[in-house]
Amino acid sequence: MADLASRITKPADETPVNDAPAAAGEASTGNNGAEDNVEDDGVQRGLIETSYEVEVKLADLQADKDSPLHSGISSFDELGLSRQILDGLLAVNFKKPSKIQARALPLMLSDPPTNMIAQSQSGTGKTAAFVLTVLSRVDFSKPTQPQALLLAPSRELARQIQGVIQTIGRFVDNLIVEAAIPGGISRETGVQSAVVVGTPGTVMDLIRRRQFNVSQLKVLVIDEADNMLDQQGLGDQCLRVKNLLPRTIQILLFSATFPDKVLNYARKFAPNANEIKLRHQELTVKGISQMYMDCPDEAQKYDILCKLYGLMTIGSSVIFVKTRESANEIQRRMEADGHKVSVLHGAHEGQNRDALLDDFRMGRSKVLITTNVLARGIDVSSVSMVINYDIPMKMMRGREEPDMETYLHRIGRTGRFGRVGVSISFVYDRKSFEALSQIADFYGIDLVQLSPDDWDATEQKVQDVIKSSRARPDYAPNVMDKKD
Amino acid sequence: MASSSPSRQPTNHWVNGSPQRSVLDELYAEDRNSEARHRYLLEVAKQEHERVRKEAERVYLEQLKREELQRIEEERRKEQERIRLEEERIRHEEQLAAERARLNELKAKKIEIPPPLPEPEPPAAPAPSRTTPAAPAAKQNEPVQINGPATKPAPPIQSGGLFGSSGLKPAATAPSIGASLFPSQLTPAAQSQLPPPAPPASSVPASTAPKPNGIGPASESSRSAAAPEARTVPDRYIEIHKNLKLLRKSVMEQAKTNPALKSRLGDMRREIRKSVGQLTVASGVAGVNKVQQQKINSLLREALSNQVQSQLMEVSNFVLEPRNPVQGAVNNDAVLPSIFLYLINIFAKAAIAQFINEAGSRPETADPVGICVAATLSEPDFLWRGKSLIDMLLAKFRVVCPVLFGHRGSEKTEQGRARIGWWKDCGRWVSEQQHMDRMTGLGAGFAAISLRNFAHSKKTNPFPPREYWAAMARIVNTPAADISGTQCTVLKAMVEGYEQKFIEFYGTAALAALRTALIEFPARATQRSPAVDALQVVAQRLKRDTGLVLG
Repeated sequence: MADLASRITKPADETPVNDAPAAAGEASTGNNGAEDNVEDDGVQRGLIETSYEVEVKLADLQADKDSPLHSGISSFDELGLSRQILDGLLAVNFKKPSKIQARALPLMLSDPPTNMIAQSQSGTGKTAAFVLTVLSRVDFSKPTQPQALLLAPSRELARQIQGVIQTIGRFVDNLIVEAAIPGGISRETGVQSAVVVGTPGTVMDLIRRRQFNVSQLKVLVIDEADNMLDQQGLGDQCLRVKNLLPRTIQILLFSATFPDKVLNYARKFAPNANEIKLRHQELTVKGISQMYMDCPDEAQKYDILCKLYGLMTIGSSVIFVKTRESANEIQRRMEADGHKVSVLHGAHEGQNRDALLDDFRMGRSKVLITTNVLARGIDVSSVSMVINYDIPMKMMRGREEPDMETYLHRIGRTGRFGRVGVSISFVYDRKSFEALSQIADFYGIDLVQLSPDDWDATEQKVQDVIKSSRARPDYAPNVMDKKD
Repeated sequence: MASSSPSRQPTNHWVNGSPQRSVLDELYAEDRNSEARHRYLLEVAKQEHERVRKEAERVYLEQLKREELQRIEEERRKEQERIRLEEERIRHEEQLAAERARLNELKAKKIEIPPPLPEPEPPAAPAPSRTTPAAPAAKQNEPVQINGPATKPAPPIQSGGLFGSSGLKPAATAPSIGASLFPSQLTPAAQSQLPPPAPPASSVPASTAPKPNGIGPASESSRSAAAPEARTVPDRYIEIHKNLKLLRKSVMEQAKTNPALKSRLGDMRREIRKSVGQLTVASGVAGVNKVQQQKINSLLREALSNQVQSQLMEVSNFVLEPRNPVQGAVNNDAVLPSIFLYLINIFAKAAIAQFINEAGSRPETADPVGICVAATLSEPDFLWRGKSLIDMLLAKFRVVCPVLFGHRGSEKTEQGRARIGWWKDCGRWVSEQQHMDRMTGLGAGFAAISLRNFAHSKKTNPFPPREYWAAMARIVNTPAADISGTQCTVLKAMVEGYEQKFIEFYGTAALAALRTALIEFPARATQRSPAVDALQVVAQRLKRDTGLVLG
């Protein structure tokens, strides 16, 4: 409130009065006369100019009120976090809490601890929200006593979260974070850290082998919760892990998507939870321009793919494919075209996967080709393009159907935290076209068509789409209602 | 007997604790005074006690929960109420603000007639120092002077200015280090760097300090010498920027009638954009971007050969100062093929776009682009009359990141935002997050271009480190009241990840500059903001991660 007031009520015509003495005072401390003149000069200009300056229109300041990144809270200071954590946030350029952070943090940090089920769009700061909770709950005078456990569906995501905790907590003394993934915990010592991030299978093994003392765990976080609780294997594992933990533990469930049936289960899993759900029209990220490329046939997809990189400024990009074979083939072609490429799919071993993804994270390679392994959660902030080389499909009742959630999670790899992002889906035959149409209908997206015939025209079109991406009216996509 | 009494129901109330029902039994029981009986009754009482306590606890906890829920509910209501009130207030104030703006406008109109108004352009510190015509005067004869910016700033500017009193100590020792470091490193670069930045030029005469001062004069001239200049000479970079737009139009027009040009133009443009986008962080491995560099060079050479017969165009429209033919230069004519100039423009544009879009979120990605820019523009084939065409890139920088050139403004006013390069998208200011991202990318990009070491290269550095020093000086010399978050963000991005290079170039002087930038400058800011705080955190991080203590 105070902050808003200061933004708005400062009367423009008073400013020069305040400024003049200050600036003049500074000038007079300068050591030569010429400079004084200059300063005066500056002040005079300031005087006349400021009297003409018009305050920024409030409509503009408030324009993003509905944006998931806008919370009305002007800094993290107001959330009562410790100084070390605040410094860590500033060091990574986190300046203001996003909506999910501003809303969820007070609830998660309040005592007695209450469970939480929170939904927010991809790339809006969910990870930071629960990481801040974890860092605030842990007692760092016991650095090797496990106090917080975070579960993620893949080793990549677990390592990523581990990295985020270490980054935000870089100024926190005695912070130890271990990754409970295959090969992540010493077999000799077991878990020796206050914060543990892991995949459910490994975590359960550790507990069973008595290498993970869970008696003083205070917080359990499950990221990508719908996916974790929904899948047969993962869901069971999560439940078994939970049953091994203290009853009093605070449970936090996070995801960008929460289909209804999962939500019901989640409510049982985390009883009496506070819930933050998305309004339906908020589901897709507005900053992502969604397009599709109309390819004449499957064989030409490779060449068209390479051409895309000249159409716009691209930082890093992710290409989702269906099979390992096509992943390898695309890699070959793109490397021939000068790109540095990482390919990541199930065939790679854990440690190797880490190295490949690290290359991509560190910017040593800028193209990541992957199967669905990485559709969820992976956050590389400079990803500015996502390509659905194949439309995501899933098996439902013995038939192949377009996979709505996966589409949403895939394109959510770009447009992180309000940045510009582009997604391009390739269609080349009736089947792929129909699948994409169904997805577009489902979310109510107006997909822009691109054609590979005239690259000058296509380039122009892409530029226009990117330019107008923020001006587009809100569509009303609706996962919750249409589900099932 | 023992079996008769424990039948007490757990649901019994405390009243049943007294043995009314079985008083007789009790009385007549043989063991009514036995110790066992006594113990038994004690036990029963204890259990009852526990039950009651548990029940009480449960009720208490429930109450707590209820209260907590109520509190949360209350909070929510309050929050909503607060939002509503605030919105109301904002609406109210919006009206007030509009009224006031209208009033100001009216007032302004009145004043407008008598006193000659300053041009709308002159912001805080206008034209970059390089515009000063005095520049050529600064023929760098002696290495010492060349290193002017490199060696230590004398304390001339405002006393509170660049370096606080404490900062002067390291400053004094700097020259020795600087002198030993720089001559070898910078001299070759500086020599050919003919349009030497005004800083050294004006500093040499102005401050008779033992060592010429890079910072002082830079800011001095940008504020003093250059300021009046800018009145008569409108910002040259802005002119160049306009000329570049005309160039683009002209080339597009030519393409309509020149099929050879049309067929190559788009492909070449996209190839350049792609190649710039493909540049990756080297991580100490040499040559990772060799292919891209060669590709860009070959495209530009192709354009220079002008096989597509694009029109020839005056190059002087795209450089800061007039140039005369230089002996031995590859391109000495007054004109060059427009497709070549166009592609240089596209290359510059691609670099800037990469800074904004990619380095904005990951500043470290600016470095390979900076290397590529310096390498490409310093290619002898792409020089004009012996000097690089980097002014085309700088003109873009001037437009998208004016604070690097000493421009200032309030982030709370329309004009202030326009002056500091806050972007508009479809008529609306972009969000603060986006703006700060852009500034981060551009600050990192600027550092990536200006902190290149050409000591081991035969080529001439198109944008030597003194430009970095000068830009930093222009920011840190801002009067306290004018310090903006934008400046802090740009400064942070310029410093972070480049501390080491900066120190390599400037030695102890760099430490003093860092101290000014990371400690004194944010401490001076009258308005605290996350951007200001973040600048201070950089110093903490340096201390923690590298052991570099500035404070």
